[in-house]
Amino acid sequence: MKILAIYSNKGGVGKTTAAVNLSFLAAEAGLKTLVCDLDPQSSASYYFRVKPKLKRNVRGFRKGGKNIEKSIKGTDYENLDILPADFTHRNLASTFNKLKRPKRRLSRVLDPLRAEYNLIMLDCPPSIGLLAENIFNVADYLLVPVIPTTLSLRTHVQLLSFLKKKRYDADKIYAFFSLVDKRKKMHKELMATISRQFKGVLHSSIPSLSNIERMGIEREPVPAFAPRSVAAKSYRDLWQEVRATLLD
Amino acid sequence: MNMSLPDGRDGRKIIGDLANHYLLRQEQPRAKNVGIYDTFDWRLFEKSLVLYSSEGELILHRLSDYKIVQRTKVSSFHNFVWDFPDGSLKTLLTPIVEMRRLLKLTEIRSQSTVYRILNKERKTVVRLNYEEIRRGAQARHRTSCVHLHVEPVRGYPKYYRTTVARLGKMGFVQIKPETIYFEALKERNKTPGKYSSKLKLQLQPEMRSDEAAKIILRSLFGIMKVNEDYIGEDLDTEFLHDFRVAVRRTRVALSQIKGVFPADTTKKFQRDFANLGKLSNELRDLDVYLLKESAYKKMLPDSLRDEINPLFEFLKNKRLTVLGDVKNGLSSRESAKVFRTWENFLDEPPEGSSTAPNAEIPVVKLARKRIHKRYIKILRTGAQLLEEANGERLHALRIECKKLRYLIEFFSSLFPGKKIAFLIKELKTLQDNLGDFNDLCIQQAYLRKTVDELPIADHQAKMTTLAIGSLIGNLEEQIQAVKGSFSEIFTRFASPAHRGLFHELFKSTKGRATP
Repeated sequence: MKILAIYSNKGGVGKTTAAVNLSFLAAEAGLKTLVCDLDPQSSASYYFRVKPKLKRNVRGFRKGGKNIEKSIKGTDYENLDILPADFTHRNLASTFNKLKRPKRRLSRVLDPLRAEYNLIMLDCPPSIGLLAENIFNVADYLLVPVIPTTLSLRTHVQLLSFLKKKRYDADKIYAFFSLVDKRKKMHKELMATISRQFKGVLHSSIPSLSNIERMGIEREPVPAFAPRSVAAKSYRDLWQEVRATLLD
Repeated sequence: MNMSLPDGRDGRKIIGDLANHYLLRQEQPRAKNVGIYDTFDWRLFEKSLVLYSSEGELILHRLSDYKIVQRTKVSSFHNFVWDFPDGSLKTLLTPIVEMRRLLKLTEIRSQSTVYRILNKERKTVVRLNYEEIRRGAQARHRTSCVHLHVEPVRGYPKYYRTTVARLGKMGFVQIKPETIYFEALKERNKTPGKYSSKLKLQLQPEMRSDEAAKIILRSLFGIMKVNEDYIGEDLDTEFLHDFRVAVRRTRVALSQIKGVFPADTTKKFQRDFANLGKLSNELRDLDVYLLKESAYKKMLPDSLRDEINPLFEFLKNKRLTVLGDVKNGLSSRESAKVFRTWENFLDEPPEGSSTAPNAEIPVVKLARKRIHKRYIKILRTGAQLLEEANGERLHALRIECKKLRYLIEFFSSLFPGKKIAFLIKELKTLQDNLGDFNDLCIQQAYLRKTVDELPIADHQAKMTTLAIGSLIGNLEEQIQAVKGSFSEIFTRFASPAHRGLFHELFKSTKGRATP
């Protein structure tokens, strides 16, 4: 049983699309998988056509146990369930903050689900506060989508120094390039530099493709509605590498 | 939930009607052939399991609710579990199936279409799997039944409830999930659980002893007949084994249920069955060694593991010859005559007590007497062994215990079930100890003897001899360990509490004999 967080402290880098497609592929490969949508914008829930509503909203979430189990929904796909987001997730950090051991609340919520699933994938909102620390504590690995631009690179450096300062294990951070445009010289150069400079950068990358944007219209993972597309193949490659590197 | 339709109604049309009430999406129909497997003695069924093979996958279901217990991809089907790919399915099946061959009981063709019920968001909230099952794998076979599996989607219980209710109104009736399994086997006239090598007898305490003896013997003869047909086919080793056990039990019944038939008749059949048993002694021995191949290899150090292969090659070849002899022996005119005269004898009406003193006495009385006598004998032999454990006496005690065990099993229906089960469990512990001792000694002696017979070239011969020597040494250690634990095991078996129970059940003739 592994918990994998798709995390970035920057928005719009392809976290949710990665979480949706990777979890779909994990389930297809036979792993009993749960996507946990932690983002109040609830995009992952939207992609799976599930109402972003939890039993007793954020308070139910905080308490865990039965409330969580009742909130889990089966997706349209075998082996794949989702714990939908709730708009009240925007208060998750402040809710945790009022409790004892606030940095480990998420572990307490997810622990009872460990027995049922082989993989729990967290779709995280962009943040670097208390919620992020909860994520660092509960996840076995963090998978960070990085757009090959200077700003995105800067954010990644910020994240690494934050982890160092807070004494989290930086070895569980893995990154992959997202929204890559191979025609741009700058993208290529930056990717080469970053792969050299940082540990844990995966070889597979996700290009910027219209089929990935179409997910919003189809409301399905790419490999489900366009199984033979380049986009589906990129996610399959990424999944294979994630599985071999982090899960096996 | 599984549902079915009364005959003569068009299920597809009814499903189509659902579209008036729900957003319905139909998926591509899929067809597959499904093989259903179990051992000859229904080992999976007895554990409430079913093994299916379909489209390169083995799927183990629990029979009670049809949940999948394990599944695994395979490149081809193997009849023996030891050839299965390593993994949890193999681990789970090995202790259940052991050395028995998995037989294909039947093959069905299933064509299924999934209909998904969608909500307003076009999200799947209930799955309907409409399955048509044909009697055989070919297209020419007609549809024999129709099943509808209604599968809830987690988090949408209301949709599931309303769908089930609506299907009920439309004429579908709920069926048990295991119905498909039983129906498919019924088509082939197969009854799960029909064969078992265990005796399931129901005797009455007051019935005549000769009559009861014949019930026991008839049941054993049934087991012999069923297995005899398959020994020649060499499907697995256990047809012969079950056959031999039935022969041995018959011999014990003839010798131990004393005085119920005329003495000369009893003697004649005892001789016949002794010969019938002897016929396959060597084949059974070889089977035992070959079944132990991997256990033997594990006993050897890595460097010698492959050096033992010539021994097993030799045994395998020898087995083929011996199997031929057994086949001939069983189909010979003499064997046929033994079976025929025995069957005639079993069908004869009971005779008077003039030639058989115990024929007419109530069976419970005779059972008590015989069991108690055997028990006292065991206590005596065992007590001598406690003073000095010697191989010959241990062997004798093993035979005594076997006789007692068979007697208790023949007559178990005459005594309280729980107490009998307890005694058998205790007796079994002792028997296991004695059995291990005997097996190990025989194996050791056999290996010694075989060294001379191995037809192999010089260098290889040395290495193989070395490996066999190493095995003999390993067996010796085990023999000493088993021998060492005898006194503790026997002392427990002969404890005052156990003695008390034996006396209570079998000594007093005044006590009530109720099942």
